Amino acid sequence: MAHVITTEGLVKTFGSTRALDGLELSVTEGEVHGFLGPNGAGKSTAIRVLLGLLRADSGRARLFDGDPWADAVTLHRRLAYVPGDVELWPNLTGGEAIDLFARLRGRFDRTRRDELCERFDLDPTKKGRTYSKGNRQKVALISALASEVELLLLDEPTAGLDPLMEAVFQECIRDIKEAGRTVLLSSHVLAQVEALADRVSIIRQGRIVESGSLAELRHLHRITITVETAESAHALERLAGVHDLRELDGQFRFEVEGDHVDDTVRALAPLGVRSIVAHPPTLEQLLMRHYGDETDAPSSDSAR
Amino acid sequence: MPADASPSSTTSRSDRLAGVGTLVRFLLRRDRIKLPAWTGGLGLFVVYLAVALPSVAATEEELRSATQLFADPVGRLLIGPGYGFDEPSFERFVANGYGLYFAIIAALMNILLVVRHTRLEEQTGRAELIRANVVGRAAPLTATLILAVITNLVAAVVVGVAMVGIAGFATAGSLVFAVGLAATGIAFAGVATVTAQLSQYPRAAAGMAGAVLGAAFLVRAGGDMAAEGGTALSWLSPLAWAQQTAPFVLDRWWPLALSIVFAVSTIALGHLLAARRDLGASLVATRPGAHEASARLGTPVGLAVRLQRGNMIGWGAALAIGGLAFGAYTDALTDAFLDLPGAFTELFGADDLVDGYLAYMATFMAFLGGAYAVTAVQSLRGEETSGRAEPLLAAPVGRITWLATNLVVTTVGVVSIMAVTGLATGFGAVLVTGDTHHIPDLALAHLNQVPAVWVVLGIAVLLLGALPRAVAGAWIIVAYGLVVGTFGPMLDLPEAVLELSPFAHPAEVPTETVRALPLLTLSAIAVGAAAIGLLAFRRRDLETT
Ligand SMILES: Nc1ncnc2c1ncn2[C@@H]1O[C@H](COP(=O)(O)OP(=O)(O)O)[C@@H](O)[C@H]1O
Ligand SMILES: [Mg+2]
Repeated sequence: MAHVITTEGLVKTFGSTRALDGLELSVTEGEVHGFLGPNGAGKSTAIRVLLGLLRADSGRARLFDGDPWADAVTLHRRLAYVPGDVELWPNLTGGEAIDLFARLRGRFDRTRRDELCERFDLDPTKKGRTYSKGNRQKVALISALASEVELLLLDEPTAGLDPLMEAVFQECIRDIKEAGRTVLLSSHVLAQVEALADRVSIIRQGRIVESGSLAELRHLHRITITVETAESAHALERLAGVHDLRELDGQFRFEVEGDHVDDTVRALAPLGVRSIVAHPPTLEQLLMRHYGDETDAPSSDSAR
Repeated sequence: MPADASPSSTTSRSDRLAGVGTLVRFLLRRDRIKLPAWTGGLGLFVVYLAVALPSVAATEEELRSATQLFADPVGRLLIGPGYGFDEPSFERFVANGYGLYFAIIAALMNILLVVRHTRLEEQTGRAELIRANVVGRAAPLTATLILAVITNLVAAVVVGVAMVGIAGFATAGSLVFAVGLAATGIAFAGVATVTAQLSQYPRAAAGMAGAVLGAAFLVRAGGDMAAEGGTALSWLSPLAWAQQTAPFVLDRWWPLALSIVFAVSTIALGHLLAARRDLGASLVATRPGAHEASARLGTPVGLAVRLQRGNMIGWGAALAIGGLAFGAYTDALTDAFLDLPGAFTELFGADDLVDGYLAYMATFMAFLGGAYAVTAVQSLRGEETSGRAEPLLAAPVGRITWLATNLVVTTVGVVSIMAVTGLATGFGAVLVTGDTHHIPDLALAHLNQVPAVWVVLGIAVLLLGALPRAVAGAWIIVAYGLVVGTFGPMLDLPEAVLELSPFAHPAEVPTETVRALPLLTLSAIAVGAAAIGLLAFRRRDLETT
């Protein structure tokens, strides 16, 4: 499959801050790629480099078959961008702003614009100064979603939307995926990435620390198990791969590494299991594992 | 490494400018109110002068006595080289007596236009939304400059038509004047193009360009004062070139070549600097600030001081430098005054002309102090509309406390700025005359004007509370004071018109001694207006955009 985005060893510094520190990111055609990381990890910086708005200090970035800095204008014909924090012009209406972006981009589906305004419940006749944060965000989203481009770069695009609009957004992204278009979706809304992404790259301090399909990532991580047993399950604590065993209202709750699930279940059986619930790791936990260990006490950190 | 490839070697010219046409149309739409307002305002200024002057000086004879005042060193310091004042006519009086102020308005219009469409767009992130489309790297700046050129040409047409069509001035001179105005405007668009690359903050970018404008004013003030027609020093100022065309006198075009060369070079430099930086970045790097808030920052007063101090220091420094220069002109004036006709005394209403000059300078600085006060209140309005005031007011800080502490800080700021400026002016005068009494005299003269500045501040707060969208209206008091205070006495305006300006009331120190009554009255008016403003502010909705 063709790569739509590739970066190799991308470095970008702002004074003494290393916002990107050897970023290796690859996004293939037709996928929704989740770009996850905490605040300040470098997601926006990476996207701005891909847009040719910032110039990397070193490393290589390819967008389609071009260089994001040198071929910015040509590449922008094939993509649309939505930032997390949209500002509009106070004395222009939302509709005017959408049309401006459309004219500046070229390809645009007029009926789709109107349909999207309806779906997102946006009144395009209001002036920019009267829009709430969420409504300004909708303007940028509608403009991007109505443009018939191959790639969408979305930087925390639903930061100001309510859950209802979030659901509409997810539907729209699924439509786009069906149409075979590519999406890079940066987010810290983990549920959103879980619901939409085919593959995920996790960024931390300017580096990709993990990349793969959600299934692959889960395999690397811990399952949370809650059991109610006839006998005390305290002994499980000594098993390899078991972490954070705690007793709560007569139930035991612990995490177990993906590779040790089998052993653990065998050890549980003789204790007289009355009920058992197993949770796959949430992306929160994935992130916790990567970012929680900064304080190098993962067990106490994740035991919240 | 592609990241190091130079943009020009890999990006074609047409790509760099992609989208310019659409952007220009969009900018025209955005400025659909501002453009006609500014250019129409300049046209109205011409019409007003054409109508008002004959009613003040009906005959050539009366006009001659009025222009005589302008032709003197202090007059030239304020208005320019004074071409054609030996044989005055209405058209000469308008073009050579008021041309400098037309030029300053045009310069401000261009500085604000360029900063508004470049740096402000980057700071808000709107430039990013634009640039993520099929828009070349140089397109937004180029579109802005095209808009600036269009605006200046419209201004030239409006002013030219007003001069020829309404005022009935000679065509050749009107044409030189109108084109000179546009050329000066574009030159300052060039200055702003450069300063917009230097700072990340629109206000700092506009402030730097404003400082260049101030310096240009001072440089030509020194040059024009020294001799009729200006001296070599005058020619160093971008404000001087249009004046050196001497409309209706010499009608020469070639000085405008300097404006054009200056505009082209600054615009080229601006583009060069812009191409060397990232979107949103600046050439003056932002330094990391304090790790923790100091204890003082935790109080409303501490925060108010912190947020206002940049503006305060900027104005204080600019006024002090101006004062130093004006003070240092004292000596040259003393020489020039010796052979002046008696009519000159009218300007300052004083026998001791040097004292009269210094008293006028204290008033002049008070106009600028008033300008500072308005900007301080406008930035409070900015805190409100940007939503930055909201979390503060959600914390246990009352609205009255928030506004009152800020008001107190500005009030003290006015006193400090006027005191420092007075000391600097005095110091400048002492440097050239050796008379040390100038220092206390001028400190007193400037402090004497403080209550007048407070009135401006009070009314600005009144507007902030009662008519928040009209806060900028407080500029009218400053502009009115400046025009009436500078030109009123010469134009024989009725006393009532002069006295509408708060700046007209304090005694003219050091010519006169301080009078307490007007100062107390002005202070009472200021306090009253501020109090109403505070109460109204508590009662109205907070507005955010
Ligand atoms: N223009 C800038 N100047 C200085 N530092 C910046 C700038 N932009 C981003 N940074 C810094 O770079 C790091 C990455 O920021 P960003 O890419 O915005 O992170 P994210 O989008 O993942 O929250 C942060 O430490 C941020 O403070
Ligand atoms: Mg971000």
